[in-house]
Order: sequence, then structure tokens, then C-alpha cells
Amino acid sequence: MYSPFPDRGEPLTKPVELPQGTLEMLILKAVSLGPLHGYGILLRIQQISGERLEILQGSFYTAIYRLERRGWIKGEWGESENNRRARFYSLTAAGTRQLKAETAKWTDMAAVVAGILRKKAGEI
Amino acid sequence: MSLLAAIRKLWHSIAPRTHSDVEEEFRSTLDAFQEDLVRQGLSEEQARRKARIDLGQPAAQNETYRDAIGLRLFDELRGDIRYGLRDLRRNPGFAAVAVLSLALGIGATTAMFSLIYAVLLHPFPYAGADRIVNPGIIDEQHPDEPRWFPLSKAVFDDLRLAAPVDSSLGFNNAHMEITGGALPEDISGIYLTENAGSFFGVRPVLGRNIEPYDAENGGHSVVVLNYRFWQRHYGGDPHIIGQTLEINHATYTIVGVMPRSFAFNDTNGVGDFYLPASLMRGLFNVPYVVYIPWIKLRPHVTLAAANAALEPIVRQFAQQHPERFPDHWHLALQPIIVPFQQETGRTLTLLLAGVVLLLVIGCANCSILLLARGRTRERELAIRSAIGASRWRIVRQLLVEAVVISCTGAVLGVAASYLLAKLPLSLSPDSFPAESVIRINAAILAFSVALALLCGIFFGLVPALRLSRNNSARMLPGRQIGVVAAPAKHRWSVLIIAQVALTLLLMATAGTAIRSFLELTQMPLGYDPANVMKVGIMLHVQDRGEWNRIQSREGRTAYIEQIREKIAAVPGVSTVAVGTDAMPPYTGDERAFNVDGTHEGEQTQARVILVDQRYFTALRIPLLEGRVWNTDENVRGDFIAVVNHAFATRYLSSSNGLGRQLHIPGLTSQNRYAATSPQSTAAREIIGVVGDARNDGLDHPVAPAIYVPYTAVMLPYEQFFVRTQGDPLAYLHSIRGAVASVASDQQISNGAFNGTFSLKEAIEQDEQYSRQRLFSILFAIFSAMALALALVGIFSVVAYSVAQRTTEFGVRLALGAPRAHVLWVATRIALVSAAAGIVIGLAFDSFLGAVLAHWMRSAFASGSVFTAAALLALSALLACLLPAFHAIAVPPAEALRHE
Repeated sequence: MYSPFPDRGEPLTKPVELPQGTLEMLILKAVSLGPLHGYGILLRIQQISGERLEILQGSFYTAIYRLERRGWIKGEWGESENNRRARFYSLTAAGTRQLKAETAKWTDMAAVVAGILRKKAGEI
Repeated sequence: MSLLAAIRKLWHSIAPRTHSDVEEEFRSTLDAFQEDLVRQGLSEEQARRKARIDLGQPAAQNETYRDAIGLRLFDELRGDIRYGLRDLRRNPGFAAVAVLSLALGIGATTAMFSLIYAVLLHPFPYAGADRIVNPGIIDEQHPDEPRWFPLSKAVFDDLRLAAPVDSSLGFNNAHMEITGGALPEDISGIYLTENAGSFFGVRPVLGRNIEPYDAENGGHSVVVLNYRFWQRHYGGDPHIIGQTLEINHATYTIVGVMPRSFAFNDTNGVGDFYLPASLMRGLFNVPYVVYIPWIKLRPHVTLAAANAALEPIVRQFAQQHPERFPDHWHLALQPIIVPFQQETGRTLTLLLAGVVLLLVIGCANCSILLLARGRTRERELAIRSAIGASRWRIVRQLLVEAVVISCTGAVLGVAASYLLAKLPLSLSPDSFPAESVIRINAAILAFSVALALLCGIFFGLVPALRLSRNNSARMLPGRQIGVVAAPAKHRWSVLIIAQVALTLLLMATAGTAIRSFLELTQMPLGYDPANVMKVGIMLHVQDRGEWNRIQSREGRTAYIEQIREKIAAVPGVSTVAVGTDAMPPYTGDERAFNVDGTHEGEQTQARVILVDQRYFTALRIPLLEGRVWNTDENVRGDFIAVVNHAFATRYLSSSNGLGRQLHIPGLTSQNRYAATSPQSTAAREIIGVVGDARNDGLDHPVAPAIYVPYTAVMLPYEQFFVRTQGDPLAYLHSIRGAVASVASDQQISNGAFNGTFSLKEAIEQDEQYSRQRLFSILFAIFSAMALALALVGIFSVVAYSVAQRTTEFGVRLALGAPRAHVLWVATRIALVSAAAGIVIGLAFDSFLGAVLAHWMRSAFASGSVFTAAALLALSALLACLLPAFHAIAVPPAEALRHE
């Protein structure tokens, strides 16, 4: 049975733990594709990641609140796909800039780390 | 964009989302998830359950939100405060006592200090009162007695222009009468130089001050009224300005009324009204006008510098009038506050020490309570820490509670100080100058509040410190069922010791104060003041017609005797005597004398009291030996004298002093209105010895005294001592009439200087008497408060510790321990602490007794110390035993189940 929230008992899939601070980046990315409500953001991240990410509910909403507080995303009440009132988040201008900067930083760092890890004994 | 919109936008960007907004969002997520689950095949019920389990409660979401945006600290603090308040409500006894201890300490200290400050340290309402000095000279041969000197207008002007002088005021007291009414009234006026308004800087309640233009044309005939005179004479009439007043047969216009706080001149006698000094020239037919000066120095001028600068001017004056100055002297400017400080400084210091002790005891009490309560809470704190509360969180919780207690105490203390400051005035209005205006002293209030807060916070935190040092697991046994006494490190026992010792100190001081006051009230006076009244008269020396009648000694004696007989004829009057300055407890003047013409090495002095032969009957002063003079001898005035017992013992060493010859070389007067008998300084035979009657105040032993017929030296005033049946003041009206029947314009005095008083009142208004009374009342209050605090402290410590150990006592009793033993175990530490406190307090007292003996003129009476100690011991025992009895009264089976 699928759940975007990892079961607290024993997880079915082997989850990938997110490094500190990445969740916020992922949320920005998810929202950049179009306004989403909180549950939608979760689903989209799970979907993109192939359901391999473990996202704790507590830290998820903490991240959303923090992003909103910083003014990177903006929440507005609207109608959801099944006619429910839901709060939709969209990226602000500051959020767009932040996502760009974060993406660049992440790509750089990943490249450097990957480069180091790819080295074999003889190449050093 | 309008400003309002901008503000709204800014607010929206700062303001957190509302509780319901966050919750609704979370709910929508919850619903969406639940629908997903239903779609995947779960039943509605299962889906709801799983959604809740996975996501949590919507209600808790708000906390996550506030934590995320950094508001959690505020929320927690609010929670802590709420918890602290709830906890205090749950323990109302603890809360009330802790808060009251602090409030009492703060309130009493602040009130008393403010009172002392207002009444004694800063009683003057004048602008720059701390810079006003009284210029005196010190006779280098008798440096103990400063002397004041009057100045001529010219020298006064010189002084005023001197460099260190800001401004100066000249004044002169004068006895006057209000004329034109049915009965003349004797009052006291003060002439003021016309700069008085700006010199004093005191706003009148009505009208205006005396102003410089009042000096024009030889002085305007205007008067400014003293507040009390205004009340007494005009019943506080608000429309008094512009009315006229006839003084010494001249008409004056009332232009102002001074406020209650203005009682010039506090040292030389308060005036009933104030007049422009320029009028003096016309009134007194003297070659030059003299002033007594008050000098206001410029700011930051030292007394020494001012003395040095002004002395040459006064020296110049001394050269013109050498007769007014001693041979060797120097100028000594004295701040006007000094005489007050000298009289009351010691009382003041002791009272202040008393209230500071009370503050310390109050703080100690609050600390004891916090410590005792802290122990009962250790378990709770250990649980909190075991389930994950951080140390900081626990410290914060305790800190908040301590602050809640201390702040409540401080707020109540501030309120109490305002109420308590008024209490002594309403309890004993005679002990304070009516002019004093009580203001709460901000500095001392801040100090006591700060001390209380600090002490509350420090002791409130002790449990947290202990907890963090100890392993929390060790403090958290499954059930505290051990018979082992709790790890006994009783910090509060030190506080109990200190508190008990300090309380004993206060109680001993109070006991001593009360005892010396009782001694004062029960002290043999040597005369009987009940139902005796003094009636003073001033002779009309200014009135030419009148003067002819009373100028000669014989004429004056006849006049006085005539009045005396008229008063004696009033129904209900039993005896009327005559005297000059013979009003006890201060009678007569110190004069040099010798017995049998012998000149001893030292000059011997005795009180010489001028009275008639009926004085001893009227005041019921017993005749011990010989006889009192008769009417003829009284009229003659010379050759005879009566001495008191103190005189006979000291100077008439032979068993029978009667018949010995006494010389009083100085028994004459320089007063131009005086009349002296022909042989007043000649030898006088001692014809009798009378008992000792107080003549040097209530607190001094009776001085050797010589009684001489009043006709020997007749001053322009006399006193009648009227013994009546019942309250003498009830006869005042008839006596007034009797006096007026002799001479219709002869008034009887009302002024403070020579006024009408019952002798009993005179004792009660005596400074020493009212000071001692105030002292005993205040110290009794202090020590009662201290005792109450100490007892509450002991009581709560024992109550807390037995509550903690109920199970232990149950076990002990179940195993067969005698009740007395359990009682001892329960109260041992508190009892031992209290006993140690008493012992230390006794040691303190004997040490301080020596200091106090010097200060209070009466050492700690060992009787009152031990009474205090016994009382304290008894109450401490009760405070220990009551809660302990309560604890062991619980049946063992129940005690064992006690959690």
C-alpha cells in the first residue's frame, strides 16, 4: 500500500534520507512547476523521486512554513481538484532567485563530490 | 499605495498566520490523505485512523508552525508563566506567605524610610533648603554652645552682597496682640525682609507672598497668614484675602495664606503671621533695625569657604558692638537642618536599622519557602528532565515562577508602602510635625524591590541547580518508601537561624523601647499634673497707661495678685499659684549660687525657680522639712528660699540645712521691662526643703533647685497654675472672663511660647515622651511582623518536610516507634535551627547591648531580652510542633499508602 508518509513501524521501501536543508530546495522546485497545496507538494516530490524519499511530516510542514515566512513561497487559499478548500503555494520572485542559486550551488557541490568519489587509486 | 495599505501589507508580512488558518490547511491535507487511503481500499474508519497516526493532530500543528517561524520561545514562556500562576493557585498558602513576606519587607522599609526622610531628614519646604545656613558664632571658651547674633541692616546688606551668598533673609520674631475683638488675643508675628517670596520659593495657598514692593513708603501694612493660624482663627475661610486684621491697634490687610508645610521659623518659634520688615522701624523705637539672618549659599560653596569669606564682615560688626560678642570666637555657619538631626539622628538610625532588618527577614522568609518548596518539587523536576526537558527549560520554568512570586510581592510591596507610610501619622499624630508631607522615596523603593527580586530569583533557582548537579535518576526512585531520611542538606536551616536571630534582636529592641517608654510614663514626676492647667499672661508694656500701673514692682505684684484672686474665685477652681518659667517638666534657669558665702573651687549652679508659696500646693509637691514662705514674705520677695531634696543632698551636707544662708548673685534681670526686688541678690535663708519635681525634662534626673518668691524678679509675663475639679480646660472660658474683669484688655496667651496647656498635655507633647512612644510603637510593629514572618518560615519548613516524609513516618510508627520520637525526628532540624538562632541572637544582643546603651541611653534590659527569647522559643516550638502533630496524626496504614 502506498503512502507518501513513511510508516512509523517498519518502512516497506528502503528510504533515502535527505541531507540537511535539501527538503526546502525540493519544495521550491516542486512549487516552481505550478501552484500546489501542501499535500500536492508532498505527492509531487514523492512522484519525481520515484517514491524513494523519506519525508517526515513534521519537518515537511516546518520547511513549508519557514519558506513562506522568508517570502520565497506565497500561500493563497483556493479550490483543490476535488473541490476542497486548500492552500496553494506558488513561487515568489525571491523564491525563483533562491531556487536558481540553490540549484547552481547543489549542482556544483554534487559535481565536486561526485568527481572526488569517482577517482580511483591510480588517478590521484 | 496609501500609507494605511502599506502598513497593512507590512503587518501581513510580519504577523504570523492565525491558529485557525494553520489548522484548516492541515485539515485539508489530512482529508486529502484520507481520501487517498480510501481510494486505495481502506475503510473510512481505518483511513481516518491511519491519517491521524501518520500525520498527527491538527491542534498540534500550530505549535509546529510557531516553532518554524521562531515564535516558540514566546509561547513556551507564556506557558511557563501560566503554569507558574496555576501552580501558585494550587498552593495558595505558599504563594500568599511568600508574596506577603516580600511585600511586608518592601512596604515597611520604604514607608519607614520615606517617613523618616520626610519628617526628619528633609522637613523644610524651602527652595534650596540644603543651602540655607544659620550664621552662628562659637565662643571658643564654651565651644559646645553655638550662639546666634542679630545684625543691623547695614551689616545684613554687606553679608547679602558677599561672594558665596546667593540670597539672604532677615527676620525678627515679635509678640503682638490682636485687638479690636471682644477679648484681646496674644499672637506671634514674624517680620521678614521683603525678598521672602523669592528666598523661600514656596507658593502660597491663597494670595501672595511678601514681595519687594511691600517695602515702599516705609512698608505696606500687609500680613501673610500661617496656615494653622488661618485654620484656627478664620476656620480656613477661602475668602480671607483682602480682609483686614487689627494688630496692636493698627489695621493690616491680609494678602496671602501660606501652605500647611510652611512653618517658618521651625527653630525659633512658628509665626502666626508674617509682615514686611520695613514696618519694624516704625513700630520699635530703636536706633537701628536688627535682623536674625538666614543665608542661602550659592550652589557648590562649601561651609568652610563660606565661613572664611563671611567672617571678616562679622568681625567688623563685632568691633562696633563688642558687648554682643565673647572675647574669642569664630564664625560657624550651620545648615538649618543640623538642630533637627542632632535631636533625632539616633532614633532615626535605629529605626532605619530596624526596618532594614525587617526587609532582610522578609527576604529570608521568602527564600526559606522557596527552598522548602523546591525540595518537594525535585521529584517533579526529575520527571521532567527524565522525559526530556532540557536543563535550560527547567531553569527557565523555575526562573519564571520565582519572578512571578517576586514581582507579585514587589507590586504589593509598593502598594503597601503607600499605605504604611500614612499609618504612623494616623496612629500617633502628635509625634510628627503637622507640616511634614510624606512622599515615597523612589531610591529606597527601587532598592528594596531590587533586593526582593534578586533574593526571590536566586533562591527560586536553587532546586534547578541542585537538580543539574545530581543525577536525575537517583532522585527518581519508583516510590519514595525508604525509611532513610532524605539526603539532609538543609540550606534553609541557615536561613532559619539567621531569621530567628534577627527576630530576637528586633524583639529585644522593641522590648527595651517599650520598657523605657513605660518607665517614662510611670516615672515619679514629683508633682501631680492631673487637673492642673497653666495660664500665661503677657503684660501690656507697650501701652503707656497700662505701663504706669505695672511699672513698679509693687503695682505689678498687686495686679498679678488681683488676677490670681479673681481666677481663684471661679467655681470649681481649688488652688491658683503664680510662677515665672515654672512650667514642668522644664522649670527655672541655671544660676550660680553659693552657700554661707563660701566660694568653692568650681562654680556651682542650680535651677532657680520663681514661684509663689501656693505653687507647692497646686502641684502637690510635698514639703519635707521646715516651712514654705507666707504671704507677706511672698510680697517682700527677699531673704528667704526653699530648696529641693536634690539640692539638700548635694549641697547641704549637714543633716539639717535649714537656716543656712544662700546667695544667688545673678538673681536680677537685664530686661528693660523687668522689676526686681531691692535685695534680690542678698543672702537668703533656707527655710524649707521640698520633694524633687522634674525640672530638667522627663529623661534627666531632677536638678538641684532653689525656689524663690516670684516677686524677686518680675518679668513682663507671668504664669498661673490652676488646679481645678475635673478637666481644667473646661474652665478656660470662665478664667478668661475672670482675667478680663481685672483689666478688660488683658488677654491670656494662646501662642506656642507661653500658651495655655494642661500639665498632663505638656508631658504628652514633650519631645522625649512622644519620641519614646513612637519608638516603642514602631518597634513593636516591626518585631511583631518579624516574629510573624519567622514563625511562618519555621511552620512552612516543617510542614513541607513532614509532608514529604509522611510515608517514612508511617513506616516508623508501624514498626512501633513512639510518637514522641517520630515527632522529634520530624522537627529536629527546625527546632535545632531555631534554638541556634536564639542562642546567636542572645549573643548578638549582649554585644549590641553595649552599643545601644550608648545610643538609646538605656541598655538592653536583660529582663526584656529574656522575655523576648522565651516568647520566641515558645512560638517557634509551636510553629514546629503544629505541622508535625498533624503529620503523625495520620494513621500508619494511610501514611504508608501516601504518595
